[in-house]
Amino acid sequence: MAVNSDGMIESGIFESLQRKIDDDSAVKDALRDIVQELEKQGKEDALFFVCSTDRHRSDNAVHTLKSSLHRIRRPYVSQPCSQQWQLTANTEVAVPSVVSSAQANIDREVQTIHKLSETASKEPYYKFNYAWTRQIQDACSSILLCGWLGGFGKSLAGQLLTIEDVGQAMGVPVNLKDRDAFHLTIEEYLQALISLLDELARLARNSVTLGDYRRPQLIAQFIKEVHAGFQILNLKNDTLRKRSDGIKYRVKEVEDVVYDLR
Amino acid sequence: MENQEKMDRFMPMFEHFRAELDEHHDRRERITKASRDITAASKKIIFTLQRVQTLNQPIPQHAVKANKQYYDAITAQVSAVSMDLQGLNAWRYNRQITGGCQEWMEAACFQHYLETASLLSHDDAAQKLKELDPNGPGIRLSPEDWVLGVYDMTGELMRFAITAMATSGELPSIKSPSSSEAMDVDNAATRQQRNVLTDMRGLRAALEGLDTGFGPFAKDASMKMRVMQTSVEKVEKALYGLIVRGAERPKGWMPEVEGGGGRAVEVEG
Repeated sequence: MAVNSDGMIESGIFESLQRKIDDDSAVKDALRDIVQELEKQGKEDALFFVCSTDRHRSDNAVHTLKSSLHRIRRPYVSQPCSQQWQLTANTEVAVPSVVSSAQANIDREVQTIHKLSETASKEPYYKFNYAWTRQIQDACSSILLCGWLGGFGKSLAGQLLTIEDVGQAMGVPVNLKDRDAFHLTIEEYLQALISLLDELARLARNSVTLGDYRRPQLIAQFIKEVHAGFQILNLKNDTLRKRSDGIKYRVKEVEDVVYDLR
Repeated sequence: MENQEKMDRFMPMFEHFRAELDEHHDRRERITKASRDITAASKKIIFTLQRVQTLNQPIPQHAVKANKQYYDAITAQVSAVSMDLQGLNAWRYNRQITGGCQEWMEAACFQHYLETASLLSHDDAAQKLKELDPNGPGIRLSPEDWVLGVYDMTGELMRFAITAMATSGELPSIKSPSSSEAMDVDNAATRQQRNVLTDMRGLRAALEGLDTGFGPFAKDASMKMRVMQTSVEKVEKALYGLIVRGAERPKGWMPEVEGGGGRAVEVEG
């Protein structure tokens, strides 16, 4: 850096600044590698979108949570009518296998989150959290979906993992206030919860397609309850607000499905 | 009835979230408001400083007096929110406070230059900002805020230089101890004496030499880089006009500046 010593700039000012920027860049590089790994692992949870539109890919695709979930079929699909509700037992059996394979995938994500937590905790949390917040939200929503299906010790479907449950599953603290370290924030949890609702709204329709007529009711009840919860929040004009405004459409979608089954 | 009970299953959790989010939003709003007030007061300080026509000398009393109320306003705002910006929250609300910090840095840096003809270092600036909250923990000045403030300060140097050229017909120079005479603009090209323009070029070189990496800061810096380069070029064009027109310039003549001092308008905005 060519700075004349007799000019206005005392020597060393910009050099020490450059060192600080370079240190930050090194941190960002290290974080980026870990976040990319997490992103890749997280994408495997979302392969359904690919599978549903691309036959070729679906043959080789890893059977992960969402992709498997929306394809679980009963051996015999009968005509949809209300008397068939008792026939859902087969799906109830099928789901635990999806949950256990999903949990194996989530375990790998959790390993990556531990690495991220270790690296990120050396720096001010909010200085770099933009680098991983989306991937953490995705991981959180995979865990919530897995928990809703009866994973993570919730033997019954239709249960909501709390932010503390998710933190425990990830092995990280939640909503930290008294110290500066890696953690899961309330906003991230709420964003993930909305993603869960989006996924469940799809699942309600796909359950019917696959012959499961009881699950949409369970989903409808769940979404309504979560919706009621979001309504007591005083959200500002941010992304959380925008996305939470969409919950009412999920409520209606699922209610329509339930209505069609009557 | 049972349905209503079931509907309340998640309510305690959401009530807890509401309390936490309300606290967060209130704090964020306080900081945003303080940042805006600090920005407004800093801009007014800069206006006053632009009326100063001396360089490398103490700020004249009239300007010091005029600016006192704004310094007081900044001190009050900094003290009001410094507790909200500690620990985890220093970076959490960085986006809310950064505007105020940058504008304050611009004012402090400009004043420091007028007084000493030197660049206010990050350490000294951070110390100055901390002193604005004598009874509290103070606000942190990030290296990023410092650089972005320096970028903006080049715009003030541009306005200062052009005003000086328009009113006195010469570029403000920094008198080295050996030369007591004010520099004659006709010799500007041949003499190596420091003036506002040589300092701006030095700053430009230093800022251009920084490798800002990637991320939000790099984005802000590259936007300000263009404005800073334009500021230097405006002074260069004005000096060219001054040399070419020389003594012929009519009364009320203003240096020709492409874009009609767009930066000046921005500053006032």
